[in-house]
Amino acid sequence: MYFEVHQPFRLNRFSVFNIGENFNPFEVYFNHKLNKDLFERAVRKCYLPTNKLILELIEDTDRNFKVSFSLTGTFMEYCDALAHEVMRSFQDLVETGCVSLICETYYHSLSSLFEDLSEFKEQVEMHRNAIRSRFGYEPKVFRNTEAIYDNRIAKEIERMGFKGIITEGTEKILGWRSPNYIYRPVNAPNLKVLLRNHRLSDDIAFRFSAVGWEEYPLTADKYARWLSSCEGEIVNIFMDYETFGEHNWPESGIFDFLYHLPREVLKYPNNYFVTVDEAVERFSPVGEIDVPFAISWADNERDVSPWLGNEMQIACFNELKEIGKMLKDKGDEDLLKLWRLLQTSDHLYYISTKGFADGEIHKYFSPYSNPYEGFINYMNILQDLRRKVEGGRL
Amino acid sequence: MKVAMIGWEYPPFKVGGLGTHCYWLTRHLANLGVKVDFYVPKRSRAINVREKNLRVIEIGATKVYPYDRVEEGALEGDFFESVNAYNELCAEKIHGDYDLIHVHDWLTVKAGINLKHKLGKPLIVTIHSTEFDRSGWLNPNEYFINIEKEGMEKADRVIAVSHYTKKVIVDNYGIPEDKIRVVHNAVNHVGEGKKKRRIVLFLGRLTIQKGAEFFLRAAKRVLEKEDCLFVVAGGGDMLPRLVDLSVELGIANRVMFTGPLTDEEVKHLYRIASVYVMPSVSEPFGITALEAASAGAATIVSKNSGVKEILRHCLTVDFWDTDEMANKIIALLRYDPLRRAITRNAKRDLNFITWERTAQKTLEVYREVV
Repeated sequence: MYFEVHQPFRLNRFSVFNIGENFNPFEVYFNHKLNKDLFERAVRKCYLPTNKLILELIEDTDRNFKVSFSLTGTFMEYCDALAHEVMRSFQDLVETGCVSLICETYYHSLSSLFEDLSEFKEQVEMHRNAIRSRFGYEPKVFRNTEAIYDNRIAKEIERMGFKGIITEGTEKILGWRSPNYIYRPVNAPNLKVLLRNHRLSDDIAFRFSAVGWEEYPLTADKYARWLSSCEGEIVNIFMDYETFGEHNWPESGIFDFLYHLPREVLKYPNNYFVTVDEAVERFSPVGEIDVPFAISWADNERDVSPWLGNEMQIACFNELKEIGKMLKDKGDEDLLKLWRLLQTSDHLYYISTKGFADGEIHKYFSPYSNPYEGFINYMNILQDLRRKVEGGRL
Repeated sequence: MKVAMIGWEYPPFKVGGLGTHCYWLTRHLANLGVKVDFYVPKRSRAINVREKNLRVIEIGATKVYPYDRVEEGALEGDFFESVNAYNELCAEKIHGDYDLIHVHDWLTVKAGINLKHKLGKPLIVTIHSTEFDRSGWLNPNEYFINIEKEGMEKADRVIAVSHYTKKVIVDNYGIPEDKIRVVHNAVNHVGEGKKKRRIVLFLGRLTIQKGAEFFLRAAKRVLEKEDCLFVVAGGGDMLPRLVDLSVELGIANRVMFTGPLTDEEVKHLYRIASVYVMPSVSEPFGITALEAASAGAATIVSKNSGVKEILRHCLTVDFWDTDEMANKIIALLRYDPLRRAITRNAKRDLNFITWERTAQKTLEVYREVV
């Protein structure tokens, strides 16, 4: 089981009349009040109680329960500023030896989709260093933002010395094959690919509280039965950590489910838990996957359309890239940091117009009343940053 | 089913959503097999209608338009007199084997109530605007409120043109929610023009309700950053004050006041405008926003409006927040991808917003009471 732990720095209301004004952009670009409130709510409802429960479960099962985490750089910055106890509780978890940490881009960005991958490499390196310094941990497995994956990314990750990479077990790349095995990227023979079992993952992440679902309510013993009847060697259950306590409220029974899950799973003699690091050590690839066009774990399309699906998103993304080109030789640390904070993929996600058509997922996460508002705000801020970069100083 | 519908205006004599609504509603109801007798005050020229199931019957005569404000002086005497006379005439002259009576707004409520008693048939009242909307929530006149209230209380069903209006009816008139039905208006597509200009358009009667003043204040802010032309289209008692305001704000050279326009002129403006702003203080529906969208203009509408419930692809703004209004106008002028996305997506939605649907939903309400 693997959990993504991420918090973006959501933006302030930024009007066209603010562009070019004299202010401290670290203060003005970001909505610190909203961010603090949302983060602290997640700490209270999810991070602290779930960490505590997982630590207990690891001990109660004689260290047979194992999980992995990916903590984004922005999430770790939140912890530094607002909740040292959260960071400590993750450190406690890692110290059990039953928890792997996964590497990704520090800013949970889409830099893997830039034509030039140097920014991507820098952000991966930044994250690797942050994990090393905070946890004394050397991550072996990489998971890109929202599991975005293609051959080019796989190749680069192999070059950077990782042993494994995580992406979506979508039928688009597997065809008839099962996600419950380890695969090898067609162009990166030293890398192993872990594929998310989306049906079983989403049974928890999206369907757990769905009263209309035919399997509702989902119990730990039922879920364990499904797991043990799976063919294959490994079932990868990956989801947002906020599944516990935030997306599914405590009243939904999600914590009871988690509490009973390890024991129910371990009742079956052939079952055991592994971390992602152990998984890439233990299993060998059974086949190749070839992904020329980027996939992800998001929406029904499992592609990058949640972030780059309409021309407003593409305009912002191009603007980001343009600003990046101007920044490269400036050597201005503050501007670079701002640019990177603005790369967090959530800002583009809020501009997706898919929410109008397919459901509430996009709306659920967005601080804006609609994607157009999100675009105006984000683009205004990018215009301001562009000016600051062109002006050469803050 | 046979319906006696009492209206106040009917194209070509119309000034607001009421007339447009009645025109398309009666036609589509007739298409759906409902026999409609539409009663309307006689104006200078006779209205000719040749539709199966639909008769337009003129009763009495008036020069008064429904959205004129009585405190606007000269009209006052005429106004009440005409409305009362018309209502009395309707109550007196209308006979027949109708299954229900359907009236629109306070203007025809009294006739509706009387006919309900006289014919013993159910009454439906459609509310296109309330006194609160028309007064811009400043000093609403109790005379109208009482008529509206009585009509809605006596009605078997009240049709509101939006959830926004339904809320006003529940909160301010104490009408029980369960007898109110929301039936949105629709739009006749204007069709896109060949070339858009950097024109920001306001269109509506120049009354407190429509918020043109806020449009001008936003224009002032926009012109600090962008060059474009602001067009204020429509007539009304506030015109001189608005012209003065544009001078005072120092933007008179970038604002054009057109005065009242013909339908063709209005369509032309929709077609060349890039941005349409509807800054109403209180807008029960706002058909113009749909018309503008159908002509490919990106729309910014007041949060106090009903149209935003069905036009999802628009920007919304508090009518008083002129800085934010300016921010959004500038964004639409500056960021082509935004404007294109909004106009393209809005046009897709408009295909589902049809008068036929409005008529069908109205018929569903009829069936509840017949």
